[in-house]
Amino acid sequence: MKPGYKKVERMTGFMRINHWVVAISMLAAVVTGLYIGHPYYQSLIADPAVDKYVMAWNRWVHLMVAIIFDVSSIVIAYLYFFSRFEKPYKKILPTGKNIKEFMAVIVNLLTFNRSKKFDSTHSDSFNTVYFLIFHAMLAWMLLTGLQLYVHGLESGHSSIGDWWPWMLHFVTDWTIAFTGGTNMDVRISHHTVMYSIITWVMFHIYYQVWRTIFWKEGDINIVFGGSKYVKEEK
Amino acid sequence: MDRRDALMKMFSAKGVKVNTNRGEAYYSKLKETMQKRLNELRNAPAASKVDINKVLEAEGLTRRDFMKWASAACAAMMLPASFTPLMAEAAELMNRVPVIWIELQDCAGNSEAILRSDAPTIDELILETISLEFNETLMAAAGHQAEEHLDEAMKTFAGKYLCVVEGSIPLHMDGQYGTIGAKGETFEEHLLRVAGSSAAVVAVGTCATFGGVPAAAPNPTGAVGVQDIVKGKPIINIPACPANPANITGTILHFVLTGQVPELDHLNRPKFAFGYRIHDNCERRAHFDAGEFVEAWGDEGAENNWCLYKMGCKGPMTFNNCSVVRYNSGTNWPIGAGHGCIGCSEPQFWDKYAQERPMADTHFKAPTGGVEKTVDEFGLGLLTVAGIGIGIHAAISAAAGKKEEV
Repeated sequence: MKPGYKKVERMTGFMRINHWVVAISMLAAVVTGLYIGHPYYQSLIADPAVDKYVMAWNRWVHLMVAIIFDVSSIVIAYLYFFSRFEKPYKKILPTGKNIKEFMAVIVNLLTFNRSKKFDSTHSDSFNTVYFLIFHAMLAWMLLTGLQLYVHGLESGHSSIGDWWPWMLHFVTDWTIAFTGGTNMDVRISHHTVMYSIITWVMFHIYYQVWRTIFWKEGDINIVFGGSKYVKEEK
Repeated sequence: MDRRDALMKMFSAKGVKVNTNRGEAYYSKLKETMQKRLNELRNAPAASKVDINKVLEAEGLTRRDFMKWASAACAAMMLPASFTPLMAEAAELMNRVPVIWIELQDCAGNSEAILRSDAPTIDELILETISLEFNETLMAAAGHQAEEHLDEAMKTFAGKYLCVVEGSIPLHMDGQYGTIGAKGETFEEHLLRVAGSSAAVVAVGTCATFGGVPAAAPNPTGAVGVQDIVKGKPIINIPACPANPANITGTILHFVLTGQVPELDHLNRPKFAFGYRIHDNCERRAHFDAGEFVEAWGDEGAENNWCLYKMGCKGPMTFNNCSVVRYNSGTNWPIGAGHGCIGCSEPQFWDKYAQERPMADTHFKAPTGGVEKTVDEFGLGLLTVAGIGIGIHAAISAAAGKKEEV
């Protein structure tokens, strides 16, 4: 370690694993989701249907990563309030201190790091709010996705019991009315928000790399090694 | 009612779940209600002289055909087989339930679907025996004579007749897009008047239920469905373009049998007909799961009856019983004939379902305006804008950004 710098831990091992599980799930969900909406490769394989099952496998993967995604989101939602490491909700509340920090970080980004008037030791208010937007979009994908999924459970039964389709209807039926009144509106919304999420990811990756280059505090290591470096107060 | 049932009733009564087995007690009680209702009807004077048995005989159909139909109708309405004799009796008593059928803004396709078949099914024949008191498309009377006839029927059968509506209701320009009769009554006034003293309203076809084709963007006439106009009356929606005669008959039979409307879903559609998805009972479903799709009309896949999803089939988003009941005496249905489902029993189907494009390529109203855009076009635009923004920021950062001193 360079003299004059100290190491600060920013993500625990669990948080990092969760981050990469989410990243991989997202990639898999996009690849399979696009196929489900518009099968973009052909499966003219000279085998009986039972061997290829291409759409079925795509749907299987899509639903499986969705469940992993959902579980990780629920864990994150819990950690927002009860994490023993850092409780993100404290940075989201619109307190004077948070708003000031939020603005200072934006100013830093827009002045190309010519002004840096906040403490970059811990997760700042801007980034926390930015992650909140991501989690809100994920929650929306969860609700619309489950609504599209429950269409196939008309019998009201499922392998894990009748409570499951019942609960899905109870929790997600409002998304039909909310998006415009038809099943297709739910699908359009599910598809559109995928692009919002990809846009979100584009800026997220850019911003973390940008911070690493211009702040020179090794921010990119947060998600790999769990820590970054900050100058020690003199 | 135990706690779970109570919760279910409170929260999910309008879901799509179809309960096909309600237990002994429920059915014996239902049977009693039906028996009582049928006895009442039998003692009531026949409103129409047409007798189903004579009609069947004239068409060369035997009693056995009729009983076969009755047991199929029982199954379609999700009743146990023991209800078959009641079903047959109800069909015989159909001529005691007066029906006033009004025709609003549409193509009369639902009437045509029932009337124009050259080998009518028993479903269709039964519809011929209902006591049709008034029907603009069929009756000989016109002008003041027809008006008088309607007034008389409404007065005689006040509170007892079924008001069947075909077609949407135009509301723009004070409803002047559609007027009817010698007095120039608008469709809205006409509907409100006829529905007003009916026992229940049956909206037949997608125009009457959700506005249908006339309500497609930009909806110049301001067309809406019956449920947007008529309030405070039981409304049964039987959408599809055209509505399947089997579903119309089923609904009217249910009314004859119980005097009540059948169990409805959140769009007021009878669950016995609209509780299931086209996709889940489709004969081409295996090809969907296998990823075997028709890529162009008449290609190898089309010759092998592969899945029509990529040709724009909307079966996975559409609730209807076409894949089970089919059309024209169960002869065939759109997917069987090699064309995808256009989702005609769903609201706003013309704008959101009825195109020969895969699901993901549906054109929609993007926040940036216009309807002629797919989600992917909009999304790629979004990604491009984000990419340009990031590029500009990166370029300026590289040129003029301040790196921290190490």
